[in-house]
Amino acid sequence: MKNSLKVERAIKDITQEELAKIIGVSRQAINSIELGKYVPSTIFSLKLSRYFEKSVNDIFRLEETD
Amino acid sequence: METRLLLPNKFKLIGWILLVPSAILGIIQIFYLAGSGLKLLDATMFTIYSGSFAPWGGSSIIFGFDKVNLTGTIIGILFILGAVMVAFAKEKHEDEFIAKIRLESFLWATYINYAILLFSFLFFYGIGFMYVMIFNMFTIIILFIVRFNYILYRSTKQLQYEK
Repeated sequence: MKNSLKVERAIKDITQEELAKIIGVSRQAINSIELGKYVPSTIFSLKLSRYFEKSVNDIFRLEETD
Repeated sequence: METRLLLPNKFKLIGWILLVPSAILGIIQIFYLAGSGLKLLDATMFTIYSGSFAPWGGSSIIFGFDKVNLTGTIIGILFILGAVMVAFAKEKHEDEFIAKIRLESFLWATYINYAILLFSFLFFYGIGFMYVMIFNMFTIIILFIVRFNYILYRSTKQLQYEK
């Protein structure tokens, strides 16, 4: 799965730390998602979707291998 | 994410305070005192089973009282309490990502623990195997603590390269 979290974050001009605080997770979690090392839960994804005001499908995208 | 079954974060510090001294004392007791203990800690204790290897052996006591030394008992109890607190206290920012690391570390620790035990079954015999059993009581939780904290440390270190 690919994600555009880093891009979304850049658009909003917000740091990992700030985003982590808003969503209520650790900064490591945000970082690991951006590095493609961690796939967040549905709740986590929906919270990101709510914050960025974009659908989950716009932030996360399936890859051929998924 | 709501994480049940974990202790509050403050137990982590208490855990380390119990764990480190009892680990040092335990190593001293096993290697330098050959399992013997302080005279001060001689006591008569209720026991479910105490005695020789076979329950039907002459000198064994079942559901009775026996004269014992509590040095190893106390060190062991303090170590277990400390290790459980360190292992199962919440992180400051406990979330689903940390929960995943926690679970994976447990799987990893269990695999490694039994790999070591399999190895030891083959290459340790007699009293040597008894030492293996003594240490094996604590290896799962030690391996878990080491691995979990290493992964946390590594993922925190990665943050320095990201903005």
